[in-house]
Amino acid sequence: MLWMCGMCTAACMVKSVHGLLLLLVVHVAGYFLARLGVSELWRDIRFFLIQMVIVTGLYMLRDGIPDGIWPGIRTSLQVLLFFLPGALFLRTTPSSRIMSSLRRFMPRRLAFFVFISFRFLPYFAGEFHDISMIQQLRGVRLTPRYWIDPRNWRDIFHCMVIPLMVRAIKTADQAAMSAVARGFGKRYGKDTDSGEAE
Amino acid sequence: MKRNRQDTLILGFTLQEALCLSFCATFIIIAKAVLRLHLHVTGHSMVLTMFFLLLARGCVPRKGAAIFTGLVAGILCVILGMGAKSGPLAVFKFLLPGLCVDIVAWFYPRLSTNYAGCIITGAFAAGLRVVVLTLVELMVGMDYMVILQHMAVGTVMNMVFGGLGGSMVPSVVRRLDAAGLIRHIDADG
Repeated sequence: MLWMCGMCTAACMVKSVHGLLLLLVVHVAGYFLARLGVSELWRDIRFFLIQMVIVTGLYMLRDGIPDGIWPGIRTSLQVLLFFLPGALFLRTTPSSRIMSSLRRFMPRRLAFFVFISFRFLPYFAGEFHDISMIQQLRGVRLTPRYWIDPRNWRDIFHCMVIPLMVRAIKTADQAAMSAVARGFGKRYGKDTDSGEAE
Repeated sequence: MKRNRQDTLILGFTLQEALCLSFCATFIIIAKAVLRLHLHVTGHSMVLTMFFLLLARGCVPRKGAAIFTGLVAGILCVILGMGAKSGPLAVFKFLLPGLCVDIVAWFYPRLSTNYAGCIITGAFAAGLRVVVLTLVELMVGMDYMVILQHMAVGTVMNMVFGGLGGSMVPSVVRRLDAAGLIRHIDADG
């Protein structure tokens, strides 16, 4: 976990091309050292590659091609490098170990919800992407040009956030039922509100 | 909706409510990560931060909902290293706005469906974020005049973006309420 935090912080702080490339090499090597294949790496980075193209394009639109290309690539690479340690961490560390390490420095019930929040980051990022695709297929204009005008922000918020919140509320219901079915909040056969058996 | 004692889990929330608030914290982190675009506009990330903090209070109308969301988002932010400028103090960047939202909602329970209330609360809560940055600047020994100027600019920009984020909350909460997704709480909750 400390390694992951360190790598995330490094991704935010490193600005030079050599430093970012070195971090990328370290991450890719980490995937292979963890005996994860190219398919797992591709599955983790494919969303960011699309984002990289969009971000670089936006920078080039704003600052011109020669001035915008490097800041765009650097920023999107930083975003990728910021998420990769977390993806590698989640792929290589069992949930129980993440929980036990979080519990060392915070109350266990709070640690549980921090862990849930962390665990669902990739899930909701995927949901966000799916909802965006579906809304575009329905004819909603979600192109960057449409984003520029603040008058459209309310419509964009409605068509993106409401399905996302509905999904979050439904997922919370299902996850709560699943957790209760697995004995969350029960200890030694008695109901408690302490959440000790999570 | 009456709750059994067994339903109560953490800070008076049921498991389902606490999970929903945790997901709001997840959305804050996703929004912060997506908005790391170096737009050179101070406080632009407060749009979605305030939006989701106020939305969390709207979706779970219980005392402490925004504080819980802010706390989880802040801890996640520190764990993921997103608060590089303020380190562990990044927790307070989310906790203080959450506290502000909860205090206002305590006095005015219909906050999340009121445009003026959401805009003012969003702006004021977002302005509080500057307190943490000022604290960090004081700790590193920055000149007081520079700190004051930075604070003034930061507060104004955060308030503008926070208010903007807040303005989008009532319509979303009303639509979620119309769809029957918000559980209204009795006087004892």
